[in-house]
Amino acid sequence: MSARVREARIPTGEAPPEGSVRVVDVGGHRVGVYRVAGELYALADRCPHRGAPLCTGVVATPIETDGDDLVLGPSGSIVRCPWHKWEFDIATGRCLSDPALRARRYAVWADGEEIVVTLAQPGSNGASRASAADSPGLG
Amino acid sequence: MLVDCDIHVGYETLADLLPYMDAATRELVVGSGTTGLTMPSYPWNHPTGWFRHDVYERAAAYDTNFSYVSLDVLRARHLDVYDVTLGVVEPDEAAAFSIIPNSQLASRLCSAYNDWLLERWLQEEPRLRGMLVVPAQYPEAAAAEVRRVGGRDEFVGVFLPGGARIPYGNPVYDPLWEAVNELGLPVAVHTHYESVGIGSSITAAGTPDYYVEYHTLCGSGMYGHFVSILCHGIFERFPDTRVAMVEGGLVPFVGFLWRLDTNWKACRSEIPWCKRRPSEYVWDHVRFASQPLETPDDPEQLLAAIEFLRPWDTLMYASDFPHWDFDEPEQTLRQLPPEWRDRVRYGNAAEFFRLPVSATA
Repeated sequence: MSARVREARIPTGEAPPEGSVRVVDVGGHRVGVYRVAGELYALADRCPHRGAPLCTGVVATPIETDGDDLVLGPSGSIVRCPWHKWEFDIATGRCLSDPALRARRYAVWADGEEIVVTLAQPGSNGASRASAADSPGLG
Repeated sequence: MLVDCDIHVGYETLADLLPYMDAATRELVVGSGTTGLTMPSYPWNHPTGWFRHDVYERAAAYDTNFSYVSLDVLRARHLDVYDVTLGVVEPDEAAAFSIIPNSQLASRLCSAYNDWLLERWLQEEPRLRGMLVVPAQYPEAAAAEVRRVGGRDEFVGVFLPGGARIPYGNPVYDPLWEAVNELGLPVAVHTHYESVGIGSSITAAGTPDYYVEYHTLCGSGMYGHFVSILCHGIFERFPDTRVAMVEGGLVPFVGFLWRLDTNWKACRSEIPWCKRRPSEYVWDHVRFASQPLETPDDPEQLLAAIEFLRPWDTLMYASDFPHWDFDEPEQTLRQLPPEWRDRVRYGNAAEFFRLPVSATA
């Protein structure tokens, strides 16, 4: 982090509901704020594949298998890139079909009546209260 | 050591199989048509002959696509000349049993052919191993035939022609995949009988006019089966399954795999049973026969074009003897880097077909 803290704040009441995104400007960077299973996540609005505006993609539920059955995975847990339709897990940023590829994640947390988004990695600084789904060392 | 994974043998006429049929089938075969049952054949003819001219006497009669080559000729012109350690025998006309509409008759013809092949070729020549012919249009009967004779050491796999009504990954074929998986037998998908019988059209563009067009496009059915098998998760559901792509060239598979790997990333949700990138299944489960090896003017271009297929692990020598586009072994191997050659000459085939030769001797 630079000395100048780059962050955006939005009123809690304007935070995105499950299954949608709220795109905010953080120090000139477009960042998408998501809510999945009650937890807040933030992703860069840039697909790591070809640079598409990832956060304009549809928030969706992954189709998975359970033995021979098709089942739905966690509700609203992925964002599908609008250009090439690659799917990214919102919590981890990982591409479902190419786990080596990750969308950049940022720190986001609730601070009183506001949601705070910064360009820090999740789990750093004030982001320690961000998603419990974040795994240390995956940034 | 040399393993040839594509040698064709055939009967002189369908009547050769009569002693291997039950009485009712024999009656039907003898009584069919004008002078007995005949198989449908290609609408195109090779302008100067389907077979090498040095392996048969060109008769005056205009009667058949597939001239008979005897076991003695096979020995003298191929097995002995090239010191073939083991040769895997694929069908000629018997491949048509999979594309005739009468699936009941097809299954009986397949059984007769397999018994004939066993007795007349495989038990006569210890250097030969057989590919079972099965009625692909009747998967339950195909599975029964695999279980009937597939456990014999003389048979090392199951042959499926490129021409088919439905691509081979489709669930209608699950009984067949279950059977080959159970017996640990590989499947060879081999170009044959596209646009013939119930086999689908060789191209969506329509039917080509010339033999040379057909022969250039003949892998089209195989490419469809290849993509179908990968997208239906056959290798997830039947993990001991191995598939060889025989006589469809090499370079087209590179392009299709690149496209499929890319498309899978976007369409993963449609086929979530495919847990891995399609090409990763290929490295573990699919092998490619060398003939017809593409021959650009600059041989280096061939190597660059096929490197993605990991030929050192996936390529198996095939001659296609006695057909006109036969590839001579040393000529094939010379075009490949020295460090690939033993794997292509015998190692990859020995592992794939689980042959009684060392893969690293």
